[in-house]
Amino acid sequence: MKKATLLLFFAGLSFGLHAQKIFSTKTGQIKFNASSPLEQVVGINNQVDSKMIDKTGQVVFSALIKSFKFENQLMEDHFNENYLESSKFPKAEFKGFITNIGTVNFAKDGKYPANFSGTLTIHNVSQKVSAAGEITIANGAPTVNGAFKVKLAGYGITGSYIGGKIANEAEVTVNCKYQ
Amino acid sequence: MKIKIVLILLALCFTSVATVWYYVFQYSKTHHRDVESENAISVTAGQLVKDYQANESSANTRYLNKVIQIKGDVIKEGKDQAGNYTVTLKSNDPFSGVLCTLKNGSKINSTHSTIVVKGICAGFLTDVVLNEGVIVK
Repeated sequence: MKKATLLLFFAGLSFGLHAQKIFSTKTGQIKFNASSPLEQVVGINNQVDSKMIDKTGQVVFSALIKSFKFENQLMEDHFNENYLESSKFPKAEFKGFITNIGTVNFAKDGKYPANFSGTLTIHNVSQKVSAAGEITIANGAPTVNGAFKVKLAGYGITGSYIGGKIANEAEVTVNCKYQ
Repeated sequence: MKIKIVLILLALCFTSVATVWYYVFQYSKTHHRDVESENAISVTAGQLVKDYQANESSANTRYLNKVIQIKGDVIKEGKDQAGNYTVTLKSNDPFSGVLCTLKNGSKINSTHSTIVVKGICAGFLTDVVLNEGVIVK
């Protein structure tokens, strides 16, 4: 009898472990903001590819540098050619985990805090990073928000305007609404 | 005579500063790349995805940041989070296609399942990604 209960328990457990869901989007949003008091430097990318697994919290955000659109074309050209060198390094990526995914109830609408931890690759330089954000569940569909502080010099991004017209540290905000 | 030269020089300085200022802050703000007027590389959606899957870096050399005109079958229409229309064209690989975000205000207005779309190639993620797209046919 005991054995049967135990078996049932493990069967239930393994079912629980396997019933994970992969959420994804190909049109997520990332905002790059390196504004200084002298100049507004903001680019928005609406073609972010992202996947997230509800059980493990594994998450990936992939973005093409050329998908960042700036209000000023000249700024966009400089961003691509002089700073991010997007012809050589066309992609940026975050791969990691939402470490407190266990506290998120995907079945219940609401806002839950989310802590990101993983590797951020920009300009072909990878750094371990962590960031704070939020998961919003609405009608069973999650939206992930996160804000990453990116020290440009730490990713080998240099240029005479950095520290002047362009901030030393950019804020990269992610907003991915999964379908 | 000297005053005249100084005045002319000042006028020249002023005009060049004004021109640079206009180009950097005014012209560049309102003038973006015009996909419609640029010459495009013509390719099918299937071939484009195939080229990227075969060798991403050589495909980037050929297509990245260029205007390309693609013919393909529509498998998905949607909207991004900013409200721009998007269209996904089919390739021979069911896991990968061509995602094109249409330019402000553009949308698909035909019922044809095969379309021709023109856009700037941004590279390859799960799909080959195009932006600033316009529907040609």
